Amino acid sequence: MSEIETLATAMHQFAPTAQVSTEAGVLQNYAIDGVLPRLLVVPETVEQVSQAVALANQQGLNLLARGGGSRMNVGNSVEQVDMLLETNRLSHLLEHEAPDLTCHAEAGITLAVLQAQLAKVGQRLALDPADAKQATIGGILASNASGPKRLRYGTARDLVIGLRVVQANGEVARSGGRVVKNVAGYDLNKLYIGSLGTLGLIVEANFKLHPLPVREHTLLLTYPGASGATETVLDILASQLTPSALELIDPGAASDMSDFFGLNLPTNGYTLAINFEGRLAEIQRQIDEARVLARTHGALMADDLEGEDQTHFWNVVREHTRGTVTCKVAILVSHIAHYLEEIENTCRRHDLEAAVVAHAGNGILYVELRPSDATPRLVEAIRELRRNAQEARGSMVVERCPPDLKRLISVWGEPGSEFYLMQRLKQQFDPSGTFTKGRFVGGL
Amino acid sequence: MSITELSPTTATPPLYERMSATKKAVVVRELSNLLGARYVLHSPYDLMLYEYDASIDRSTPDIVVMPASTPEVAAIVKIAARYGVPVVPRGAGTGLSGGAVPVYGGIVIVFTRMNRILHVDYENLRAAVQPGLVNLHLSNALNPHGFYYVPDPSSQRSCTIGGNVGENAGGPHTLIYGVTTNHVLGLEIVTAEGDILEIGNWTYDMPGYDLTGLLIGSEGTLCIVTQIIVRMVRLAEDVKTMVAIFDEMDDASNTVSEIIAGGIIPAAIEMMDRMILQAVEADSHAGYPTDAAAVLLMEAEGVRESVAEQVEQIEQICRQNHARSIRIAVNEAERQLFWSGRKNAFGAVGRISPEFYVQDGVVPRTKLPQVLRRVEEICTGYGLRVGNVFHAGDGNLHPLILFDSQVPGEVERVRKAGHEILQVCADAGGTITGEHGVGIEKQAEMALIFSDTDLRVMQQVREAWNPNQLFNPGKLFPLPGRCADMKQL
Repeated sequence: MSEIETLATAMHQFAPTAQVSTEAGVLQNYAIDGVLPRLLVVPETVEQVSQAVALANQQGLNLLARGGGSRMNVGNSVEQVDMLLETNRLSHLLEHEAPDLTCHAEAGITLAVLQAQLAKVGQRLALDPADAKQATIGGILASNASGPKRLRYGTARDLVIGLRVVQANGEVARSGGRVVKNVAGYDLNKLYIGSLGTLGLIVEANFKLHPLPVREHTLLLTYPGASGATETVLDILASQLTPSALELIDPGAASDMSDFFGLNLPTNGYTLAINFEGRLAEIQRQIDEARVLARTHGALMADDLEGEDQTHFWNVVREHTRGTVTCKVAILVSHIAHYLEEIENTCRRHDLEAAVVAHAGNGILYVELRPSDATPRLVEAIRELRRNAQEARGSMVVERCPPDLKRLISVWGEPGSEFYLMQRLKQQFDPSGTFTKGRFVGGL
Repeated sequence: MSITELSPTTATPPLYERMSATKKAVVVRELSNLLGARYVLHSPYDLMLYEYDASIDRSTPDIVVMPASTPEVAAIVKIAARYGVPVVPRGAGTGLSGGAVPVYGGIVIVFTRMNRILHVDYENLRAAVQPGLVNLHLSNALNPHGFYYVPDPSSQRSCTIGGNVGENAGGPHTLIYGVTTNHVLGLEIVTAEGDILEIGNWTYDMPGYDLTGLLIGSEGTLCIVTQIIVRMVRLAEDVKTMVAIFDEMDDASNTVSEIIAGGIIPAAIEMMDRMILQAVEADSHAGYPTDAAAVLLMEAEGVRESVAEQVEQIEQICRQNHARSIRIAVNEAERQLFWSGRKNAFGAVGRISPEFYVQDGVVPRTKLPQVLRRVEEICTGYGLRVGNVFHAGDGNLHPLILFDSQVPGEVERVRKAGHEILQVCADAGGTITGEHGVGIEKQAEMALIFSDTDLRVMQQVREAWNPNQLFNPGKLFPLPGRCADMKQL
């Protein structure tokens, strides 16, 4: 019997209700960068997850967790995945302490289902990454996914107050707790968030919640050039205005959104979308002031969105961070305008096209490069764009790209001088490499 | 198994024997060559000042050094490593859990000479500062430009940003804005090996593990912080500070729960009970009634329109919960007066009791009424007086237990009461420390909220960063092989 069969049998024996499959036909649907996992396990309980991890650990096999599968291709390709552990049956909202504005959920619940349950009492988890219907909170936390509203509410690190994480030996450890303020022990929540499953497998999370806004409004502004838009962003950040999102859309992205999603955005200029949430009086005044401010920077027109149009618009914007080849760039807000010029120059030099959507208030840019099969040119362009980001105190990660291209580039960029400390952490947490190695920074 | 019996995770037994006089002389000479003799203190008289912080534990260092630069800090750490001497960083010594107390002696690094604001980027709302910078001095420097640094511990006039990072400090205004970890983007650190590293960045979402997040609140046990990149925030255009007076403690607690449950998150909700009010009034005459059961000090800030609406809603909830009266500060002077009462509360209690012991438990906000009742019962049971002044909006309790260590057995009763209070917080689904840190005093209580597995995982982090256990030994959890010592503490 092969080691995989042994493992499958053992899983059956210890956890008869967990779904276990070694059939090629099933595994086909779970390929990661073209690599089929050797075994699929779908546990029903945290105990079963713990058993699966312990078994893999004992057999010297590696395992990778999967939530909704929307971000499985993030990170370096790996040659072999022994066990793929899907968390989608761990999908319960365990507690919702509504008067405390906190909740406790299993990792496999999708963001959309969680939000729908919280919304029943007028609350939400203030995280808005792409693909809420597919993405699970475990996957969102492991990949530190975020969305436009991070401007106001921060990212997972600001909203998670506790985690339960299956360790490499199968033991379940808690970090943090269920209260909003807690400094007992090391803040391991921060360590697990964004670690791409390399240190542990997140099975439950406690969150700090926010009330749903009474009202929401989006102002759309158009500028002939990028600098007017980014100057508006800088002015707003230094002003009394408190927008929830400041999104910059370049002509390339605007054209996609107009062609494919029915949005009516001008394709010969830059669009700045400003989202306000709150009570009517405070929103109204902020909209008025934002308009005045935008005009001083040459905003051409102002359009307003509310209701369904607004929801549709933001969904489209969020989805646009997921092209075939998409790089995520983090730079200082004051460098955005210049960086956009560099993107243009790079694309011209390598005969490529770019479409950019940016969380402008945070200095986060999603740069989609096309055509996605222009491999040698893309390799050069990615190198240049990374160098430019790093020269401006920033970073660049290739979040999405075809496996062929992935082999030729560095997904995360070269690790810094602090990397040996990350290696030591990995060594401590997962000495025998139970959690699939190689996908994260520097091959972690 | 309790945490004091955890099995060792390392094969190398740590060395914590007090330095011999000969060894100390050698180390002092090396450090003096490095820093200049005036920045190396080693006489018993000079060292006495550094044997305590604002907690109840004390221990004398062997040597105190005052470096002026990051390379000097790195060199100190290397010397300490060479001689196997513990290193403890110290800000202003205002910590409440013994973080700066050198349990095993060794070298205390004092950051008073590294207190500069290195760079302010008003465009991108970032500043780089040195760890010895006093918290309030940063806000004072930013205020004229319309900005401030949010975390504002009550000791902000003296505590340092470096110390704040070490403890992940909070303060009254962290209710909407978060604590230190939500306002720090990057660090420059010195590792146990004496390497100088940059962690995090001026920009968001650096690829790799969030080491900045891990290091904040690590209480000096993983690295020495030598520079901090902070986020600054625009001063709000409107601030309204209000005081609501209650005749029943439960009414005040319920008000807090209802405000939060109503989705209103003001900038601050602080509670003071009768004992504290009496102490504060005797001290600073802020105008608080001394016969009330509790007072809520609340602040709404932000855009004018939203502040007005929040104040209105809060007033309504206060009235529904039988507030005797509600007062809104009419001007900045009155606002400062309200706050001075709160921020000087600990000092004021010093007037009515020779000593006090402050706890820092957190509970879900809906549990405040019952937990506050239990705190009172526990202290009464031990024949101790207790006052409460705390961040009610976060559910972060600060019961102040009054005592006199000259009374035989009183310290022991205080410790027992403190432990029981934390047990109540843990049972209510809360935690043992919200902002003061575990330090020396709460190590045993870690077991109230964390399992052995949880603690072992945390130990792995210390093992990765501080393998020889020379950074702030004796804090957070017991050291491998040093269990006997821990029990005596």
